[in-house]
Amino acid sequence: MNPEVHAPGWEWYYVAMYFFVGGVSAGAYVIASLAELFGGEKHREVSRTGYFIAFPLILLAPPLLIADLGRPERFWHLMLYARSGFPSFNIQSPLSVGSWALLVYGVMALLSFLDNMVEEGKVRNAPFARFYDRRPRKVYAVVGSAAGFFVAGYTGVVLDVTARPLWAATDPLVGALFVASSASTGAAAIFLTMAAYKTLPKLHRAAFERFDRFVMILELALALAVVLIAGKYAAPLLRGINATMFWGGAVLAGTIVPLAANWFAGRSAPGDRISDNIVVLMAVLVLLGGALLRISLVQAGQV
Amino acid sequence: MAKGMFVDTSVCIGCKACQVACKEWNGLQGEPAHFRNDPVSMRPVAVNFTGNSYDNTGALGATDWRHVRFIERFSEDRSRARWYFSSDSCKHCGDAGCLNACPTGAIIRTGLGNVTVQQDVCIGCKYCIPSCPFGVISFSEGTGTVHKCTLCNDRIHNGLGTACAKACPTNSIRYGDVADLRRAANARLERLKSLGYGQANIYGYDEAGGLNVFYLFLEPPAVYGQPERPVVPQRRLPGASAATIAGAVAVGVAALVCFRERGQAEGKDEEVDK
Repeated sequence: MNPEVHAPGWEWYYVAMYFFVGGVSAGAYVIASLAELFGGEKHREVSRTGYFIAFPLILLAPPLLIADLGRPERFWHLMLYARSGFPSFNIQSPLSVGSWALLVYGVMALLSFLDNMVEEGKVRNAPFARFYDRRPRKVYAVVGSAAGFFVAGYTGVVLDVTARPLWAATDPLVGALFVASSASTGAAAIFLTMAAYKTLPKLHRAAFERFDRFVMILELALALAVVLIAGKYAAPLLRGINATMFWGGAVLAGTIVPLAANWFAGRSAPGDRISDNIVVLMAVLVLLGGALLRISLVQAGQV
Repeated sequence: MAKGMFVDTSVCIGCKACQVACKEWNGLQGEPAHFRNDPVSMRPVAVNFTGNSYDNTGALGATDWRHVRFIERFSEDRSRARWYFSSDSCKHCGDAGCLNACPTGAIIRTGLGNVTVQQDVCIGCKYCIPSCPFGVISFSEGTGTVHKCTLCNDRIHNGLGTACAKACPTNSIRYGDVADLRRAANARLERLKSLGYGQANIYGYDEAGGLNVFYLFLEPPAVYGQPERPVVPQRRLPGASAATIAGAVAVGVAALVCFRERGQAEGKDEEVDK
């Protein structure tokens, strides 16, 4: 690998934060839609909470992405080729495919969001409400969860499919790592929202925690595998601030501590006040870890 | 008919005429001065030196489309030395990582095979920068877009050669049809081998889909700062996509197992927590 390959100079507070916010939104939407498709009414509270947070969160994505551009006013060139006005699409570029996936995902997240509002009677006079029908919501959920998985994972492919030494050396695992991290941070965001709106008693804890445990184990395994396959190119992840963010934030706070707490919580009495507060704290840690995972990988690849 | 350049580093004298000609023709900003007056002592002090032989740019950049490398080679006991010069630029790859990565269609290949950035289309997303396996294309804060060698797009489409080749006093940089240049390169390689340069090699016949700007080196490419086996990043896209899809399937299956409607018997431990 060629150390002379230039770093893109992506700012962590734009690009890595987009990777994080997009991942949380997509993770929450995917959990919401899969819980609805597989679980139906039983996991209704998970679905509605996920749909309610997915759309507002994804609204943060375009400003973050556009702010990092050298020519922000030309952002629409991603969709329309500036010389002809025809749609612009490049199957080889994860950035091009990702822009379209983000658009599809955003529309589906909006439709599911509105659908929930109509169902709960919060929107009555909108045209959408007049033609309200429960059937299309399954279509939104299927298309949206596919696009959501894409939004969660393509950001990792963006990093892997470059010639920068660390990013190229971690190929092909970062996409899968970001999918797992999106699922764990999405679950944490759903849990925190339910705690804030005091709807936690309606949550099927056992099923939710089992899912959470699985995705965190997957995330931990992939994070370790990423460092292993990177070999000597993993050096930027082993020293300095990036090491602190990766090992202390992403690995320890983001997966190991919540997994340990999840395991202990499984053995304590349900509905325990103290245990609830700890789970809330764990959800905050998972979100922090997910953000530090994106920041450390984006920054370490540009050292 | 693809046009390109053959850079015969064995006759390069490191004069940097190509760097100057490139900047002149393409209107690129000059290098910052190497001396300035110290405001306290009012004496000239040296600034902006790379400290690496006579190298004055250090790398290719948004305003440095040519970069003459100075490579000092010493034997173990430093009794023998060899100084290599090599004029580096965009290679106009047959399979160009920057062009593949561009999400807006700003980077195009013209009918003459050269790869250029359309400045009015580029949005400055910077994804082409890490996608170039050679570290060529670079971002300019001034224009908010990326820049690189165009193979003198305006000149070659009007029947002229590139400015750097025109200025080269030793014919180290030759411009022409890639097929003709390859014939000349093969002949030159034969000649050097017969003169005893056993390690001489041509760099760019197979790398990155064939380089339209290719090199003759006297030692392995790594000595000249070129990657031995450059991989066009997009060739790894199928693998990266498959692994990501596998991750998504794993999460999807976990959701199916955890959230699906279960039978009455199993439903007991799924009771809503009160």
